[in-house]
Amino acid sequence: MHVLILARELDELLELRAVADQIGALEVETLVPKAMTNGEDLASLGLRRAYFLEGFDDISPDGLKKIVIDLVGKVEPSLVLGPSKKVFRELFARVAHNLASPCLTDCTSLEFSGGRLVVERPFLGGGYVERLAVKKLPAFLTIQMTGRRPKIRERNGPEKVELSKPSSEDFSLRRVSVERVERGGADLAKARIVVSVGRGFKRREDLKLAEELAQLLGADLACSRPLASDLGWMPEEKHVGLSGKWISPQLYIAIGISGQVQHMVGVRNSRIIVAVNNDTSAPIHREADYSVPLDLYQFIPALITVLREKGVRAT
Amino acid sequence: MPVLHVFVKQVPDISTLEYDPSTLAPRFEKATPRLGEADLVAFEAAIRIKESWGGEVVVLSAGDGVNELVLREALAMGADRCFYVSDQRLAGADSWVTANVLSRLSRKVGKADLLLCGEASTDSGNHQLGPRLSEALNIPCVTHVVGIELSEGLVRVRRILEDRTETFETGSPLIATASLELASPRLPSLLMIKAASKKPIIKVNLAELGLDEGLLEPLVERLSVRVFKTARRNIVLEGGPLECAEKLVESLVKEGVFKA
Ligand SMILES: Cc1cc2nc3c(=O)[nH]c(=O)nc-3n(C[C@H](O)[C@H](O)[C@H](O)COP(=O)(O)OP(=O)(O)OC[C@H]3O[C@@H](n4cnc5c(N)ncnc54)[C@H](O)[C@@H]3O)c2cc1C
Ligand SMILES: Nc1ncnc2c1ncn2[C@@H]1O[C@H](COP(=O)(O)O)[C@@H](O)[C@H]1O
Repeated sequence: MHVLILARELDELLELRAVADQIGALEVETLVPKAMTNGEDLASLGLRRAYFLEGFDDISPDGLKKIVIDLVGKVEPSLVLGPSKKVFRELFARVAHNLASPCLTDCTSLEFSGGRLVVERPFLGGGYVERLAVKKLPAFLTIQMTGRRPKIRERNGPEKVELSKPSSEDFSLRRVSVERVERGGADLAKARIVVSVGRGFKRREDLKLAEELAQLLGADLACSRPLASDLGWMPEEKHVGLSGKWISPQLYIAIGISGQVQHMVGVRNSRIIVAVNNDTSAPIHREADYSVPLDLYQFIPALITVLREKGVRAT
Repeated sequence: MPVLHVFVKQVPDISTLEYDPSTLAPRFEKATPRLGEADLVAFEAAIRIKESWGGEVVVLSAGDGVNELVLREALAMGADRCFYVSDQRLAGADSWVTANVLSRLSRKVGKADLLLCGEASTDSGNHQLGPRLSEALNIPCVTHVVGIELSEGLVRVRRILEDRTETFETGSPLIATASLELASPRLPSLLMIKAASKKPIIKVNLAELGLDEGLLEPLVERLSVRVFKTARRNIVLEGGPLECAEKLVESLVKEGVFKA
């Protein structure tokens, strides 16, 4: 099995390398941004070849598509893996269509069964799982990132190849502006305790309550989709669920979150779920280990008080 | 005046969907059909463009067992016409087949300036139709759009990615996939529902699209669907805020995530 991995960040590459291992890939090549050239980390990953692309983020969607189609033609992989991020889902769907190939997004598991590649992915908002057999290769798969890590191998570093931006960009689609969002804090995928906020918070300033709790517990802050995408109170990368991050902390404290299936699918691997929601009929209570059916504005200050008084810390 | 094609998919209403306790498979036959969430958002955006620029909104749909009553909803919300393909062969359609059918249907209906669909379908959540249509029709595509502005001969769209916001400009035609945040779908008024009963819904036979066998052959086969079940303890804490806080802290100390 010959696998081509596309990634923009080292964490993504590491996780996809682990997935390639799981399915017994013999030969693995990768396409990553030029900025990753210096990463010593690449050396131990058992990669045959690494293609470095300059200006990964600046290339137009059409330009990126062309580069990947060319590379797939050259590498001839059976599988192309990428992280389940917006840019990659779009890119993979386009390249796949161009090559009359299958594409599956948000895959949570991959295996060979009866000589066929079988994939699992969320279905119906995440309340269900569908199992699919891939009938044609190469297949383009985006993988839901959950923090898997490869076993470090003793191998020589990859052969390095630099790819340059396409000389003639197709300007039918012009990117006229880009605003970068600042990266806030650590990667949620690795967090031990996560305090998560939802629309139960009435004002942006009120999030201070959750921040204070998080600080006390050394926890990371996350949110439901509306708080990031709709209200813009939290960075986009902090929303968990079907269209956001999938996390698996020891403790997930959901505050003012109703617990719709699209949210819960991203947190179901948490060891303990605590729900703070004053509507006893909110679905989150059915998927919680501990339910607190109280007003968050009364309960969170009380919780902070108790934690302080008893000098309680996270272990 | 712009011609807008909007792609909407009939999906089971997830809130009414039950599963078979022995096989854990969803009982699709018992679920109420509805239009997808993001599809309706795309549709609302199209209606607003029509309201300020005039033009025409055409609804396109494909599937197995497409229910015209559900499509009427879109007409009631303000679409002008609807074209759909309903064929048993599409029961096992994957994104490849769906894009082949819908791109051909769109071409058959005529030229469009803006083609809109949801960022992801409610049931499959593939995130693929827009990008695949882009290849099939050779029209540029911007996904996850949260804002669309038209001006003479120019479309400006904004999208939000995990780590950045981007704005694109292009002439028409353009394919855009709607993020849930692009617009809030309206509820049709009684008057509009009545008016919609006279609007045309046209069924197109799959054969009329002249698709080669290879374009109708799925590249992915669904083996099974089962409900995702998690077992949680569901311990409800009782009492006032302080009392609950104490109980919770005590429990989490016992669980080993907190230490006193
Ligand atoms: C295709 C698709 C993908 C989606 N992907 C995601 C995703 O990845 N992540 C995600 O989160 N959502 C996602 N959603 C949206 C999801 O369906 C819900 O709409 C969303 O999770 C709701 O967010 P919320 O719980 O913060 O808000 P709401 O549903 O409005 O819930 C707020 C809750 O706060 C409670 N509350 C109010 N006041 C108080 C108070 N004073 N004290 C305590 N509790 C209070 C209320 O009882 C209510 O239950 C997706 C939807 C679709 C259609
Ligand atoms: N069979 C279909 N008929 C009409 N529109 C569809 C169909 N499948 C997908 N779409 C549209 O494409 C979007 C993305 O779907 P998907 O690629 O399945 O996630 C949906 O939100 C719909 O707007």
